[in-house]
Amino acid sequence: MAELSDNQNLERGIVVRDLRLAFGDTLVQEALSFAIHPASIFVIMGVSGCGKSTLLRHMIDLARADQGDIVFDGMRLVTDDRLERAALQRRIGVLFQSTALWSSMTVGENVALPMQLHTKMGAGEIADQVAFKLALVGLAGQQSRMPSELSGGMQKRAGLARAIALDPDYLFLDEPSAGLDPITSQRLDALIMRLRDALKLSVIAVTHELPSIFTIADDSIYLDNHSKTAIAHGDPHRLVEQGPDRVRAFLKREPIEAEETESI
Amino acid sequence: MPAAFIVSVRETTSRLIAVETESGTPVVHLSGDWGRAVRPPSAAHVADTLDTGDQSRVVVDGAALDNAHPRVAAFVHALSQALGEVDVSLETRDLPSDVSALIALASPTPTATEQPRRPGLLARVGRRAGGQANTARNTANLVGHALALTPALISGRAQTRWRDFVELVRETGAASLPVVTVVNILIGAVLGFIGAVQLQTFGAGMYLADLVGIASAREMAAIMTAFIMAGRIGATFAAHLATMESNEEIDALRMIGVSPFEFLALPRLAALSLMMPLLFLYGATLAIVGGMIVAHIVLGTPPMAFVERLQDAMSVSEFVIGFVKSIAFGVLIALSSCYIGLNAGRNAAEVGRAATRTVVVCIIGIISIDAVAALCTNALGI
Repeated sequence: MAELSDNQNLERGIVVRDLRLAFGDTLVQEALSFAIHPASIFVIMGVSGCGKSTLLRHMIDLARADQGDIVFDGMRLVTDDRLERAALQRRIGVLFQSTALWSSMTVGENVALPMQLHTKMGAGEIADQVAFKLALVGLAGQQSRMPSELSGGMQKRAGLARAIALDPDYLFLDEPSAGLDPITSQRLDALIMRLRDALKLSVIAVTHELPSIFTIADDSIYLDNHSKTAIAHGDPHRLVEQGPDRVRAFLKREPIEAEETESI
Repeated sequence: MPAAFIVSVRETTSRLIAVETESGTPVVHLSGDWGRAVRPPSAAHVADTLDTGDQSRVVVDGAALDNAHPRVAAFVHALSQALGEVDVSLETRDLPSDVSALIALASPTPTATEQPRRPGLLARVGRRAGGQANTARNTANLVGHALALTPALISGRAQTRWRDFVELVRETGAASLPVVTVVNILIGAVLGFIGAVQLQTFGAGMYLADLVGIASAREMAAIMTAFIMAGRIGATFAAHLATMESNEEIDALRMIGVSPFEFLALPRLAALSLMMPLLFLYGATLAIVGGMIVAHIVLGTPPMAFVERLQDAMSVSEFVIGFVKSIAFGVLIALSSCYIGLNAGRNAAEVGRAATRTVVVCIIGIISIDAVAALCTNALGI
């Protein structure tokens, strides 16, 4: 993949070099190298259990690989320098698969906490920021509700509001449309794209929802669980026509040859 | 079990299956209604009793079956597996199509995943030992962490929310009062009753105040209150933190650069080690009141006489011993519940297990601390 090596020295954006993911002796993925351009939406796709979420957890430093590099705007992600680490952390927002809203706090407190801990904003300004961030995701005026009182789609929106609380440069989404009906899921896709445009975010999404992939992705990578590495890289609209067989089958929702049928 | 019932089961079984031999090949005839069978035949049993001789195949015939029940499919599948182990192949004949389809669906796919091999005894022992060493190291880490962060907590620089702390103080302190009240009054009353009956036989009833007072202040109030808090608060903390872990809430905290220990465990540690000694003083007083009531009822000792005797018999050191122990119990309950909660696995069963483990660990820990304290105070002559 020549085009990939050309991109390996991006000054802005994320570069992943020769990453190897494993749980103990079990190899998940290896030889992962790709670049993510600023202000684009990058989708990590693949069948269930191929290591998509594991890759995401490594990219946000919740898990550490024994081999390989992840570089954000020229800065190594894995560092022992506390200040550098905190600075980088501030620039990363995450929407977890289960939304992970802190269940003992109201929606407003959830969005406010990162600001209380990381900025010197006063209570009034934080309240204004919370109201603004909630309005951005379409939850205006819902500050005082508890996460458990919200519907699934609203929880995702609240999770998004918390993820963008510190105005990050990078937004990571783990299965954003999991458990949502097609209409809510489509609205969430539209919201993600609006946020990307308005806040100039780089969005990295893990998903296997085909409509989502085709709607939001500018660029993508396909993690294969047979060869344990990425076998395709590029715009999914192009991959669906020209990609390797397995990627085309995945993107067209077609059965793969019988010998490769995975146990579900 | 009545004899008739056993006979009927046997009859049912015999009507479901019969083995014949056709030109040397064993044929298993299945018949009747398997859906209604009380106890359908076991495939392993049939495979064991089947005399295959030198034949390498067995035929299953389903022509006489009343209907296509999934039990038949399960039986044939199991029989085929059992015979496969001794290299005998199974052929089917005249099985209802629904049953055949089910069996086909259950046959292994070519890419069936490899079963992970169970590690050898030595490896398992090694892993367990390594795990224990890990737990010991983590515990030492936790205690060190807690000590290192105490100054930050006192000066208000720790990453904790003041409001969480106030709520935790209410939950551990005020909300625990009813159960602490009931248990301690009753414990004092029980001590009083046992003491009164025994002491009365020696005409030493007036010493009941000594017995109830010293036992409550030194031992019973601190231990009983700690047990209550282990069950009430320790289990709650562990279950809460374990649920947060399984909902990725802890990951979300880490992502905004918050140490889960500082944010979650530290306020709990502070609240419990602050409230435990207060609850102990309250509990010890109530236990003595319980004893006093019993003394009045059983021995007719006037409450004022009881209090006067108490003043002579007890020194402040009895309360100090209980007070110091209750702080230690509070630290133990907070640290172990938070440690277990934060290290629980990511599923619902683990949440329950974390709560149970916390209570067990706390009870053992409380008794151990108490035993060590008893030895020390004895050696020091306090």
